[in-house]
Amino acid sequence: METATALAAGIRSFTFHDDAAPVLHNVDVSFHPGTLTAVLGPSGSGKSTLGRLLAGWLPPGAGGTLEGHLTLARTTLRFEGQAQDPRINPAQWGRRVGFVPQDPRAILSTVRATVAEELAFALENAGGERSAMLAAVERIAGLLGLSGLLDRHPNTLSGGQLRRLAIGCAVITGPEVLVMDEPFASLDPAGADELALLVGSLVRQGTAVVILSQAVDEALLAAQQWIVLDGGTVTADGTPAELIAAPQRLPAGIRRPGVQRDTTVEVSEAGARNNQADGQGAASGPVLEFRGVGFGYADRPAGGRKRRMGAGDVPGDQPAQVLRDIDLELLPGEIVAVTGPNGAGKSTFLRHLNGLLQPTAGSVLVRGRDIAGRPVGEVAQTVGLLFQNPRDQLFERTAAREVRFGLDRRFGPHEAEARTGAALAAVGLSGAADAHPMELPASGQRLLALATVLARRPAVLALDEPTVALDGDGLRFLDAAVRSAAAAGAAVVLVTHDVPYARSLAHRLLTLDGGRLAAR
Amino acid sequence: MRLHPLTTLAAAGSTAVITTAAAYLPLSLAVITAAVGLSARGGTSRRLLPAAAAILVPLALSLLVLHGLFFPEGDTVLAQWGPARVTAEGLSFALNRAAQLCAAVLALLVFSFSVSVPDLVAALSAKGVHGRFAFVLASTLSLLPAITFRLERIRQAQEARGLVIRRGLLHRAAAFRLQAVPLVSALVEDAATRAAALEARGFGGTGPRTSYRDVPERPWEPPFRMLLLLAAAAAVAVRLLLAGD
Amino acid sequence: MSSHSLTLPSASPAAARKRRLLEILGALAIAGTYIYLVLNQPTDITGGPGSASALIALSGFLAGAVLLIVAVLPTLPTSTVVLIPVALVLNIVLGQFVGSTLVPFYLDAIGTVLVAVLAGPAAGAATGALSSIVWSFFNPTVLPFAAGAALIGCLAGLAARYGLFRRFYLAPVAGFATGIIGGVVSAPVAAFVFGGTSGVATGAIVSAFRSMGDSLLAAITKQALISDPMDKALVFTAVAVLVYALPRRATVQFPFVRRHRVLAGRNPEQGA
Repeated sequence: METATALAAGIRSFTFHDDAAPVLHNVDVSFHPGTLTAVLGPSGSGKSTLGRLLAGWLPPGAGGTLEGHLTLARTTLRFEGQAQDPRINPAQWGRRVGFVPQDPRAILSTVRATVAEELAFALENAGGERSAMLAAVERIAGLLGLSGLLDRHPNTLSGGQLRRLAIGCAVITGPEVLVMDEPFASLDPAGADELALLVGSLVRQGTAVVILSQAVDEALLAAQQWIVLDGGTVTADGTPAELIAAPQRLPAGIRRPGVQRDTTVEVSEAGARNNQADGQGAASGPVLEFRGVGFGYADRPAGGRKRRMGAGDVPGDQPAQVLRDIDLELLPGEIVAVTGPNGAGKSTFLRHLNGLLQPTAGSVLVRGRDIAGRPVGEVAQTVGLLFQNPRDQLFERTAAREVRFGLDRRFGPHEAEARTGAALAAVGLSGAADAHPMELPASGQRLLALATVLARRPAVLALDEPTVALDGDGLRFLDAAVRSAAAAGAAVVLVTHDVPYARSLAHRLLTLDGGRLAAR
Repeated sequence: MRLHPLTTLAAAGSTAVITTAAAYLPLSLAVITAAVGLSARGGTSRRLLPAAAAILVPLALSLLVLHGLFFPEGDTVLAQWGPARVTAEGLSFALNRAAQLCAAVLALLVFSFSVSVPDLVAALSAKGVHGRFAFVLASTLSLLPAITFRLERIRQAQEARGLVIRRGLLHRAAAFRLQAVPLVSALVEDAATRAAALEARGFGGTGPRTSYRDVPERPWEPPFRMLLLLAAAAAVAVRLLLAGD
Repeated sequence: MSSHSLTLPSASPAAARKRRLLEILGALAIAGTYIYLVLNQPTDITGGPGSASALIALSGFLAGAVLLIVAVLPTLPTSTVVLIPVALVLNIVLGQFVGSTLVPFYLDAIGTVLVAVLAGPAAGAATGALSSIVWSFFNPTVLPFAAGAALIGCLAGLAARYGLFRRFYLAPVAGFATGIIGGVVSAPVAAFVFGGTSGVATGAIVSAFRSMGDSLLAAITKQALISDPMDKALVFTAVAVLVYALPRRATVQFPFVRRHRVLAGRNPEQGA
């Protein structure tokens, strides 16, 4: 059945200001009402740029130089990269094309105190009748399962709820097209199922839904059309069945369901020796030990942190007792995975490894020494911890400077140079040594943060949700890095919600539930 | 039912202006008493008084030291140590000015500690300047705790990378750079995304706006606000005329 | 008129003229108030708590700041408007960070100068004024300094406009000069509205000048000339460090940065 296209684009090239090469070239796509389209591509392939361009979030001219055309609602706008090009009216465009960015928090206005008002924001700006707004908010909240949350402050929502609110904000004006950037990333299975149902009902109502993803999520198998983006251009398209039947047409950077073991990056003996953890020779006993560790947040520390004023307090519904009586011994060369439901205290557990949090009971020993009272920056020489959000850790102007930071003082320029090169190579970023860390794609940022930890060759490597935001290639580099660090004698602790991944990599699998650590 | 936020704002503002214009010690003291009483009745005094003290105590002390000890214009010398001269004129100047500032500051703080920010924003969000000003106010208030939290997270992440903050100005300046760079670059990038989101949701439009939040108002409130503003303007005019004579 | 068209019309010159008029009025109000206060101050302070000059300082400076906001705020693109709250929070949070280190400066204009460098003098002036007004929600004593803060933002934007942020060593020089002007203009507010300064340390410096027989305004102006230029030189340096650390793509998204080539090329020879 041939229906009119809801949205189409023919992009000869799109270039950001000041960039030499276009980020997108020769991209011709069209989306039809009542269909689901997946745009698949590895990290850095230009998916997000394409999505923002389609949704009017990156207006040609102001955001960069577009040569080509965009067609929406039978109106075709042609762009030649000149000053007299048409200028998109983002408000009108946004009423017809909704966009949900990768970070759902980014869509929030930050000026509305309840979920209901946040949903109504676009209607308020359009000058809608109050009664119509009330009805629309009611309807959308019902569709998205937000009805019980309408009076809550947006800052108090969980990740899954926030994703649904962001979608609600995008669809409340009834757009013909909805573009979502990586909506399934960082959702647990229950959240992903809910989202898949929601996508189904939007498609049935006639919306053209476009999902940008670097992983073949289960929900995307139901799509009518897959478009594969690689290196800024369309390299393949077709139905899911066609493309799954010809896997060579999907670039390796796209994550497939299930765990893949085609390690293109071999762990070489030489590499392992090269990565020998510092001062490893003497250690024969456990390199890290938890003895009866318990941790609880005091109700309100007396004379402690004062409450800040303002409506948007950071959500912090911590149960009083987070960790109970945890005993753990980590031997050199061991890989231990800790899994558990959201909110089980996995991150709290991890923060005890280097003393960012001090146990309220028991003690943490690194190489047999209690770390209580030692500065975190000092423990960090032995325990390298990689946080979930890599951007909090990056501050230099180039990737190489980032990795090299602090190495000169400890090891001298020669050794620092060698370690920087080795660490960048280990995560596949040798070619990006001069790139700005913040301009790397999400996957690259995580790998760079990993490289900063690897370069120090810590005796304990602790990773918080390392797989999130990694594309297929990134996942293989992570795998190789973890295995070679372990082969070189480092103990590795990884905290993840991805149980199959944990099973594939770890020697020991532990679960954290109700504050207790148990073997699985 | 509580008062419309613009009414309380007009009341606080005109009180501050009239007190300043009158420059009359008993009035200043009366306003101080009334402000403290109002905040006690409204149940905000526990938060308001420390905040006010943090502002007013150093200010009053500074005034007292400055004018109590050095007031070359003063004639009635009460005591003298070297170049420092305690004069009656200086002390009374300091006392008057301190009371006047306390009254104005307290009147405004009673407003900001009691107002419901979402109501104020909804009331201001009519259109044009008001809408954008309301956005700046509300967004600042909601970003403040979030950013303080984020700065703490950045500090933790950097300590985990081996950063030890040592004493000394240079070390602190270096630490400042390491923590400010990720904070600012993330904020600027978030702001760019938020700008696109707001534009797509019609924030940049110039047409009429409506409000989902209903801020009720009694019929007498708009004329009363007008009256308060007129009273403030009159007080200023009278004072300036008197000064001109 | 808001239309349902998918494209935007081009900007009308009439709106630009009206906005320019308001900007000029705002600047005139601030300049006029300053000149009046400087000319009339000696008689006033001896007459006891001279609240007439307090009122003139307050209303003149405040009216100027408000006019500037009214002129500028509606014309700013959304990308700049969302940056203003960020700037205000940075003014507060980074100011606190420095304050906690017990340096004798306030550094409370980092966000304002950052916006000025990225979005130009008008945006900088509006940010400065808004910063004072919004911050007065917690601390009403900063309200009268709105005009001074607007001036700092405006001057920082002009410095960026004329390339003073292209060379790393020029930024503190521009900051120093801005501090001199800003300090001189803010001094009457401190003198007439507060009759002194809000800090004990700065109060001591003022006392020293007073003991030498200076008038209050002269003493406070001299105090401002001691601390403000140094303070603003530090702020400008900090902002230069920050903008050069930002990814190029984030800075060139601002038309002001592109049009006036505010920042040096891809590989600035100096970073930190």
